[in-house]
Amino acid sequence: MSVAQEPARRDPYGVGRAPRVPFRQLSAEHAEGGVASKRIVVAYGFWIFLLSDIVMFSSFFATYAVLTNETAGGPSGRDLFHLDVVALETAFLLLSSFTCGLANIGALARRSLMYYGNMAATGLLGGGFLFLEMREFAGMIAIGAGPQRSAFLSAFFSLVGCHGLHVTLGLLWLLTMMAQVYAKGYRADIQRRVLCFALFWHTLDIIWVGIFTVVYLTGLAK
Amino acid sequence: MSEIRADRDPHDQAPGDEAAGGHDIAEGVIGYMVGLFLATLLTAVSFFVSQTTLVWRPSIPVALSVLGAAQIGVHLVFFLHITTGPDNVNNVLALAFGVLIVLLVIVGSVWIMYHLNENMMPMVMDAPAPK
Amino acid sequence: MLGRLSWAAIPFDEPIPLFTGAAVIVILLGVLVYIAIKGWIPYLWREWITSVDHKRIGVMYVFLAMVMLLRGFIDAIMMRAQQAFALNSGGYLPSDHFNQIFSAHGTLMIFFVAMPFLIGLMNLVVPLQLGVRDVAFPTLNNVSFWLTATGALLVNVSLVVGEFSKTGWLPFPPLSEATYSPGVGVDYYLWSLQISGVGTLLTGVNFVTTILKLHAPGMTYLRMPMFCWTALAANLLIVAAFPVLTATLAMLLLDRYLGFHFFTNEAGGNQMMFMNLIWIWGHPEVYILILPSFGVYSEVVSTFSGKPLFGYRSMVAATLVICVLSFMVWLHHFFTMGAGASVNTVFGVASAIIAVPTGVKIYNWLFTMYGGRIQFSTPMMWSLGFMVTFVIGGLTGVLHAVPPADFITHNTVFLVAHFHNVIIPGVLFAAFAGYEFWFPKAFGFRLDQRFGKVAFWCWLPGFYLAFMPLYVLGLMGMPRRLQHYDVPEWRPWLIVAAIGVLLILAGICFQIAQLIVSIRGRESLRDEVGDPWNGRSLEWSTASPPPAFNFAALPRVEGDEPYWEIKQRAREQQVLRPEPAYTDIEMPLNSPTGFVSAFFASFMGFALIWHIWWLVGVTFVGAYATFVVFAWRDRAEYHIPAEEVARIDRENRAARRAALARLAEAAQ
Repeated sequence: MSVAQEPARRDPYGVGRAPRVPFRQLSAEHAEGGVASKRIVVAYGFWIFLLSDIVMFSSFFATYAVLTNETAGGPSGRDLFHLDVVALETAFLLLSSFTCGLANIGALARRSLMYYGNMAATGLLGGGFLFLEMREFAGMIAIGAGPQRSAFLSAFFSLVGCHGLHVTLGLLWLLTMMAQVYAKGYRADIQRRVLCFALFWHTLDIIWVGIFTVVYLTGLAK
Repeated sequence: MSEIRADRDPHDQAPGDEAAGGHDIAEGVIGYMVGLFLATLLTAVSFFVSQTTLVWRPSIPVALSVLGAAQIGVHLVFFLHITTGPDNVNNVLALAFGVLIVLLVIVGSVWIMYHLNENMMPMVMDAPAPK
Repeated sequence: MLGRLSWAAIPFDEPIPLFTGAAVIVILLGVLVYIAIKGWIPYLWREWITSVDHKRIGVMYVFLAMVMLLRGFIDAIMMRAQQAFALNSGGYLPSDHFNQIFSAHGTLMIFFVAMPFLIGLMNLVVPLQLGVRDVAFPTLNNVSFWLTATGALLVNVSLVVGEFSKTGWLPFPPLSEATYSPGVGVDYYLWSLQISGVGTLLTGVNFVTTILKLHAPGMTYLRMPMFCWTALAANLLIVAAFPVLTATLAMLLLDRYLGFHFFTNEAGGNQMMFMNLIWIWGHPEVYILILPSFGVYSEVVSTFSGKPLFGYRSMVAATLVICVLSFMVWLHHFFTMGAGASVNTVFGVASAIIAVPTGVKIYNWLFTMYGGRIQFSTPMMWSLGFMVTFVIGGLTGVLHAVPPADFITHNTVFLVAHFHNVIIPGVLFAAFAGYEFWFPKAFGFRLDQRFGKVAFWCWLPGFYLAFMPLYVLGLMGMPRRLQHYDVPEWRPWLIVAAIGVLLILAGICFQIAQLIVSIRGRESLRDEVGDPWNGRSLEWSTASPPPAFNFAALPRVEGDEPYWEIKQRAREQQVLRPEPAYTDIEMPLNSPTGFVSAFFASFMGFALIWHIWWLVGVTFVGAYATFVVFAWRDRAEYHIPAEEVARIDRENRAARRAALARLAEAAQ
């Protein structure tokens, strides 16, 4: 059967014996262009990884939702949470997301003051967030409301603690990115990493929106 | 890989990247400022809803969820530049898949566990774990 | 200093693990010494261990899987033998040991046989089918492999140092909590899976990105081979499901190590939440296993029927529907836990619905074969065996999907028969078919088909003898995981099952023999051209084995079956495609990152299990340092000059030209 000629009838579903005639689909250009650029490939891969991280957080969210009332006779969220601390933590993290976005623009524009300044601001704000959170945890543990007290507290500490752990790792990464730009300049692969860092940091803020809504605001609702 | 093409691809955009075609710094900064303003507004409203007695109590979780979802949307659009343009199809589809899984995990778990707990025999109030 | 590790950890009082462990250590040391003496270590380090080439990594994954298959199968023989003997007696395996064996069997087979085998095949084949040079993140690929190997290593170390988990392949609480399993067994299981789980998740990210973003020019999504579609669906499931496993096992670890109360009996823990979460992962997991297997069958069936795959678009749709639905059925694993009629009904109906797209696939394979010219090669026989046997298993699955019926069959050996009836013909036969099908591509010579066919004819009846009696026994009321029993009516069936396992053992022996014979006789089995099966997709357009860069120039894809049309045109016009304009090619550099970080991960896992806290700190710093060193490198690629590319490519072109001429002569 010759391949070069057009078959008499179209068979896009491949159910006949004639060769299939492909027709252009919406995303034809998408895949047809060939190998995507490295910036797109790296960022997309990291985006997929972040989605997997969000699914992991959702397991902790689900566990928190299920175990919220299992206080085993101990303190509940109403007894333990302080709205003013939460408000401050939220402000810090939201502002740090803003400065992180500016830092990414600074990296793309190769403006060192914008980049380093905003990265430093992001780091300080993130550090402030962590400081407040660790003080909150320490306070709870000191009054006997640690994670070993009840299932509710286990779920709380693991959900909020997992987020805090991610913020800590993010700060380590932030320092590394500042060091890498300092050492290697605005090389293409360094720029890709800055983009991935920004993606990560924004996602952490998105997860925090979930946390303060589901954990703190719901727990403290009048 | 020697077949790499230019970074600014009209058909595809890296998630989180500034819009293809480029824009000057001021435009970019304004985008982030709008996002910050909207997010702050939504946060403030959420805190208010949680602490006020003006809102009908049973509706508070729903209101908070809607506000939270809206704020996540603000983050996605203004900070992560996820749009509905054809250059963002892959990014949006991946996000949609992730959101589906998150909803299934959380809603599914809560629904199932609620029913399982309902069918458990009544138990004596738990004492705290022995040290 | 050494945590809770002491000499008591070595099973001096248990002959079976002691002698087995000693034998394995002696054999391993012997192999290592032999390799060192022959001077192969630099070669192995350079060409395999630090390789970021997807083809090499794929081979290593399959090799790991096959070695672990032997260990898991030995566990199976031991269990069948025990149950054949143990009527009104204790058999030869104490229950402590028996429990570890069924736990290890399941854990190894799912995590360290099925997953690595399929991931290995995907690694080898997907970039070639897409017409690109490698996956999106080659070094990450290498890291993924070595982390998986670390997990396998830890499970095997538990045989000699300490013990393995006794809770089954999924560690249900409260049995798996520290109160009731205070030993190291569950910890071995947990850390092994957490470490290899990271590797698997990174593979998922890697392949989703590769399949969606790296294509040969002109290859739109609907021109990708079916194996790539199923690989995409499976890797999407990996990305979506494995985080849940990580979280759930982390919660159990927090309970065990830090006294948290997620799943404990006291302070409000909820064991049912563990079941819920673990099966949210567990059900997609089995679809992660079966989808690439279906992809293998699509490739094999269309190649050996000499026809394009029937209903390509409906296959794509069915694959994506299975992908999404697999996340909506998980409660069918615990119908009997008491969620009530309304919840059970929803999930029961969903479980029945998910059988439909699978049925679509089966019909499409049948219609692919209809009207085709079928070659009964070994891979095709595995596929035919699959089609009949898997349908039986699928039907018993739909039976389980009906909650009232499941109340009778849940946790009996009927269930055991069902899942082996879908996994063995579904996944394992596909692995064997894919192994034979792509072996010549990976190594340059075919496997001896005579031995392959004998192996198949041992496996198929062996499988039926080993598992059909379990259906009967399940309906007679026999629960799973029994170390001994006192119902004489069960014994004849268990003896038949044991005979089936012996037949399978014969099959495995023939497969080992096949490999040895084929390596010895490889010159007569040589694949000169690169297309031993008259294939239809792009991997067959390369040499066997392909050069490091896969394609001298990425092929321009114009039709639905990219290679088939190229080939037909060449045959008609009696001339190959014109030579591409050879250019320099950049390839990623090898990297020891994977091996070194896995080295630290192994010791960190071991230290965590045995509570050697200082070692945990040291190895964590080591792993982090490895990562920082990698992130600091300046050179990530090396160049292959155009002349070298041309030389390699022209060799294959010459072989193909000769084959074309031979075909033309034969036609006259």
